[in-house]
Amino acid sequence: MQFLRRVHAEWLLVRPRLVRTRFGISLLVLGAALLWLGSRGLDPLAVSLQAGALGAVLGAAFAAGADADRAAVATALTHPTTPLAVATGRCLAAVVPAAALALACTTAAGWHAGTAAAGIAAAAAVGSCALVAVLALGNGAAAALFLFMAVAGAVDPERLVGLAHPGVARLAAASALELGPALWHYRDVAAGDLGAILHAAAWSGLGVVLSSALVSRLRRVR
Amino acid sequence: MTDYALTVCEVSGRGLAGVSLAVLPGEIIAVVGPAGAGKSTLLHIASGCVTPPAGEARIYGMPVVSEAARHLVGYAREVPAFPPALTVGEVLSYYARLHASNGRPTSRGLAREALELAGLAAAGDLRVGTLSRADLHRLALAQAALGGRRVLLLDETLSGLDAVARRDLSRRLARLASTGVAILLAARDLAALDRVAGRVVVLRAGRVVRAGPLAALLAERVLEVILDAPPPEPPPGFRVTAAGIEAPLAGRTVEAALALCRAHRLAVRASRVRVKSLEEIVLETHDAPAR
Repeated sequence: MQFLRRVHAEWLLVRPRLVRTRFGISLLVLGAALLWLGSRGLDPLAVSLQAGALGAVLGAAFAAGADADRAAVATALTHPTTPLAVATGRCLAAVVPAAALALACTTAAGWHAGTAAAGIAAAAAVGSCALVAVLALGNGAAAALFLFMAVAGAVDPERLVGLAHPGVARLAAASALELGPALWHYRDVAAGDLGAILHAAAWSGLGVVLSSALVSRLRRVR
Repeated sequence: MTDYALTVCEVSGRGLAGVSLAVLPGEIIAVVGPAGAGKSTLLHIASGCVTPPAGEARIYGMPVVSEAARHLVGYAREVPAFPPALTVGEVLSYYARLHASNGRPTSRGLAREALELAGLAAAGDLRVGTLSRADLHRLALAQAALGGRRVLLLDETLSGLDAVARRDLSRRLARLASTGVAILLAARDLAALDRVAGRVVVLRAGRVVRAGPLAALLAERVLEVILDAPPPEPPPGFRVTAAGIEAPLAGRTVEAALALCRAHRLAVRASRVRVKSLEEIVLETHDAPAR
């Protein structure tokens, strides 16, 4: 119960961030851009996946990417809360608005339950991963992840692996694409593929655990 | 449970070397010393944010890392950091939600209490990003004291403020102490401490080199002698100042010290006796050869 109360306290910070920072307007611009691309031929599933993934990266950046926000986490940890509660709350703050954007985009582009589920799965997996990246490296990592998801995330993995040099580099690229959160993975969520759903769920959980470890490290910052 | 609100026992490592101190409920102890002396590290360890390689800190006899101790100890960092997009009220409500639980006051009540305690009642709707330095320090104090915490670790909370803000915050600390809250206050700006600290601990290179009640430390008297012309060489025990020379009386009488000046053929225009300042004490301990 206490854990939920602490997570809820973190989650409640999402509203001021949405209305008082550029987070809210960024999500609106992203949604509008994806719907425009949808009207120009981008398929509705890709619109939903990109809305979830890119919205989640933005969410993570605004939840914990700024230096002031990360320093504030250290102060929060001097109160009765835990790194896991902070990480879970911030993860929700990144993922839920992105999932809502994915739902809104799916509705606007033509409702399909599987497509909406794929967007939510992408938001959850990419949001957790993005939170780890911004907690470790700041908003620079969020920018890199945003570009990766926007450009490479939508490309077939075979094409990307083909670009890498043979040998260890190709193996590393293939492994990263197979293991990391990428949009091509979550396309299969729309078809009800259990492997894709588990992949997203695993990244969501792993992201929270890794974020929790990084939040714990922030406690030591003076 | 012990009588002490905070005990730091033989803490070593991370730049500290066997530091021990104890703070009673209602006591304000100032930790002073030059940059790098270990003041912030001491507070950081006492807050439970880091574990020292040796020694331990306890809050009312409980290890500082325990859940019960974390409810009792508040920490204001040297550089207050809060989410800049939030208002003062939202920041305190956020922390208050972490404290509120069954059988305790509501988060709204805790936040309102903290606002009033730090003198921020009129600033509740201001965004953190727009706050002045003084108000940021007030907010740091408010979040540290939130939830009726009994031990406050304040890192430079009174430093770098204008005289009016410093006096106001000093009064608020004194008021908190009068309710039994123990305060450990690190300060490099010594001007504020005369009015607020009951005891002073002087750190140098991670060691306690001097400690005692402020009144006792400031008991030593200094004779200031204003001269018509700067002396070619000051008498033994005196040092040259902008207006003349000065020396600690250290047991001798004013008459004896002035006689020494006259014996050195110095043209004394005026003299006065004052108490040694805290700054002088810190400088003396800094200049003294390391033991």
